[in-house]
Amino acid sequence: MTSPPFTRRGLILGSALAGGAAIGGGLWLARGSGTAPIATTAQTDDTPRRGGLIRVGTIEATQSGNLDAHAPLGAGIIRGWALYAKLWEWTHDCAPRLALAEESETSADGTSLTVRLRRGLEFHHGKSITADDVIFSIRRLSDPAVASPYAALVSPVDRDRIERLDDLTVRLHAKPGQGLVALPETWISFGGIVPTDYHPVTNVVGAGPFRLESFVPGQRATFRRFENYYKPGQPYIDALEIIEFGDQTARAHALIAGQIDVADLVPSEQAQLLRATPGVAVVVSPTNNVQSLDINLDHPQFQDVRVRQALRLLADRQDLVNRALRGEGRVANDLYAPHDPTYNHAIAQRPHDPDQARFLLKQAGAEGLAAEITTNNAGAAAALVFAEQAKQAGLSLTVKKLDDASFNGPQKNQRAISTGGIPSRGFLASALHYDAPTATSNRTNFRDPRFGELLTAALKEPDITKRTPLVHEAQQIQHERGGLLIWGFNHVRAAARANIGGLASELTQFAGWRFDDLWRREVG
Amino acid sequence: MTASDSTAPVLTDTRAAWSVPAWLPWLLRRLLVGLATVFAITIIVFAATQALPSDPARVILGPEATEQAVAVLRGQLGLDRPLPIQYAHWLGDALRLDFGRSLDSDVEAVAIVRDRFGNSLVLMLLVLAVTVPLSLLLGVALAVRRDSRLDRIAMAGLILFKALPGFILAIGLILIFATNILPVLPAVSLLDPQRSPLAQPSYLVLPTVTLVLSILPFLVRLVRAGVIEVLEADYVAAARLRGLSERRLLWRHAVPNALVPTVQGIAMTARVLLGGAVIVEVVFSYPGLGSALNSAIEMRDIPVIQAITLLQAALVVLVNLVADIATVLLTPRLRTAARPTLKPGSRAAWKLSGGGT
Repeated sequence: MTSPPFTRRGLILGSALAGGAAIGGGLWLARGSGTAPIATTAQTDDTPRRGGLIRVGTIEATQSGNLDAHAPLGAGIIRGWALYAKLWEWTHDCAPRLALAEESETSADGTSLTVRLRRGLEFHHGKSITADDVIFSIRRLSDPAVASPYAALVSPVDRDRIERLDDLTVRLHAKPGQGLVALPETWISFGGIVPTDYHPVTNVVGAGPFRLESFVPGQRATFRRFENYYKPGQPYIDALEIIEFGDQTARAHALIAGQIDVADLVPSEQAQLLRATPGVAVVVSPTNNVQSLDINLDHPQFQDVRVRQALRLLADRQDLVNRALRGEGRVANDLYAPHDPTYNHAIAQRPHDPDQARFLLKQAGAEGLAAEITTNNAGAAAALVFAEQAKQAGLSLTVKKLDDASFNGPQKNQRAISTGGIPSRGFLASALHYDAPTATSNRTNFRDPRFGELLTAALKEPDITKRTPLVHEAQQIQHERGGLLIWGFNHVRAAARANIGGLASELTQFAGWRFDDLWRREVG
Repeated sequence: MTASDSTAPVLTDTRAAWSVPAWLPWLLRRLLVGLATVFAITIIVFAATQALPSDPARVILGPEATEQAVAVLRGQLGLDRPLPIQYAHWLGDALRLDFGRSLDSDVEAVAIVRDRFGNSLVLMLLVLAVTVPLSLLLGVALAVRRDSRLDRIAMAGLILFKALPGFILAIGLILIFATNILPVLPAVSLLDPQRSPLAQPSYLVLPTVTLVLSILPFLVRLVRAGVIEVLEADYVAAARLRGLSERRLLWRHAVPNALVPTVQGIAMTARVLLGGAVIVEVVFSYPGLGSALNSAIEMRDIPVIQAITLLQAALVVLVNLVADIATVLLTPRLRTAARPTLKPGSRAAWKLSGGGT
């Protein structure tokens, strides 16, 4: 027999020994240390305290994202709230308020904006913040090579004509024919001021409340307190972790078990479970985040204003809020930005009137109209509910659901009806997204000449008393003949352990992201 | 356990010690076929990722981006070059383990895959280290007591666990051991990416237990069926007639012969776990390979998809190779044959004999 010095018995024995070692190791490993939930008692003291670590759990099912101030992807937007400070910041009422800027003034003709920085500001790496950094930052945001998804928000700015007036002052000019009145609002969200030696991977430096400590894409980012943050005494905590979850249930379990302290953008189906959990508080923000069905005026069927009005009358808005938003929202009147001081409150709420709708459809010769509603995951529920409502009036609307990439692809402005929505913004900023002459995402293809004139004029009118009548008329036009069926505003929920302070209900969706306001009750 | 009465063969013939094992040429052939398979897989992986619908540049930039921004990014990503050129570049880089940067997070794809693979590997080894000895012991114990009341109850219990969907098992364990009844373990596995998962053992317990409970029924039944089959064989009856003790019969004759299907069962389990135990990764937020691949596909993050699928394909080839080698070494008839052949369909037959999935 020429067999090698090998026996089956030897192999089995060897494997058994190796396996035994492995199981022994496994048992040792599995001995478990355990993290008991933190005991919480309801505390009424609302004076912020210094110190401690707060862990924020965010949902990012697919995208790992990055840390880029101007082209944030995935949870990069949330990390940006920790890393970067802007010239303005959002108030709880969803208006811009000066932040790094000490003063900002729009010229009387609305075509230039002068911004002066506060004195003595610093970046995380110690360099002073100057006008050069502001110029670098806006040029980077609008740089075609950076390909920021949000560059269009500052597109009215002529990036080649930015004046440096002194060390701290910059003057921006609008492109011909455009105005900069809405710029503070459109520039805030992705307008992080970064130093001229900034790099989104190798030199992640800003002036936000926290310095970056480490970042593992798709898992977590850790931050340390920035001692020279522009708000004195803030942030209150020493360290922050932003942890990414792929699954809502896993995140809810982590919050219940005390492994995370805060969860942002909690879906309504989770809110019920979390409200019933001792030691966890859910904060509801009744935002003005728009929920819409965008009716395309380029589509032959919808060129007749009577058909558009019929669709708007057909929508049972309360039913849409109840079913598509599980009751966590408010009905809307086909207009955005009700919090804007220029909003036209004189326009009556459009009723649910299927009889009038049928009458208008008959007049327009569009009885039994058939069309497709294109939607994505986010809008699918609303599309289905509306299609069902329309069916009762004899319309046959079919729902076509696409993945986000295809939904937002090159065909996006050519669909008959599509679902849409934007976060709370003022009137002008919302119009620049939806239906202004220079809108970034005009899925309705609404190009009413008078509406366009009014918008262009309003974007150049810094005086609010003069701007209000312009906006009132523009909203009248939208309500009478526009293509937007804005049926609701959705609430946004954030949840936190009861020992976390600084989380408040507001008009925006940012309640879980104001990391400079968060603090722990048990420290100090 | 087997060493107690074994008598190792004493090799006096030095030529025998130095001679080439009969199965070595077979092994080399198997290795070459494995490499060829991996090469074929590179072509499939590349072609398949190119065939994914929709545009990675659009996915990355999201709804607000203009068409110009998307076009700029396509250029930067090299997505506008002809396919054969993209493949040649890609293969060259892949051979140097350079899959490029993640389109999503702008980090080396290899770095993402390395971390995630480490986590999946640790979990897989732990699960196997618990499951394999446990299933051998339980399977043999039940085979010896077949048709007894204990065996019937145990089999019913195993079928129950097998029928229970993995996520229900996982959520049940979380409710019991993490949030509601006896909160001693963390509910989700928030591994600190800076440290080895082995240094954070409490995070490994619930994922491991979940996987063990969902895999154990299959392996136990496989071992049990194998041992029963051997115990009923003619040669065992003959040995029993010759007066061999039951203990000796079981451990020296029945169990070694029942191991072959078990090895293939373990290999199958390993292949499933290497693909990422997605249920556990979702419910416990465990950062493994499966969820990384899932995200990468959603994001059309081509470098990461390619790195992960290629790694998984290579590992499946490797696991199969190891299992086949173990099978040959465990089967004296195959080990001494010049051309050991695992008959087509034999793996499936072994699986069926265990009532496998």
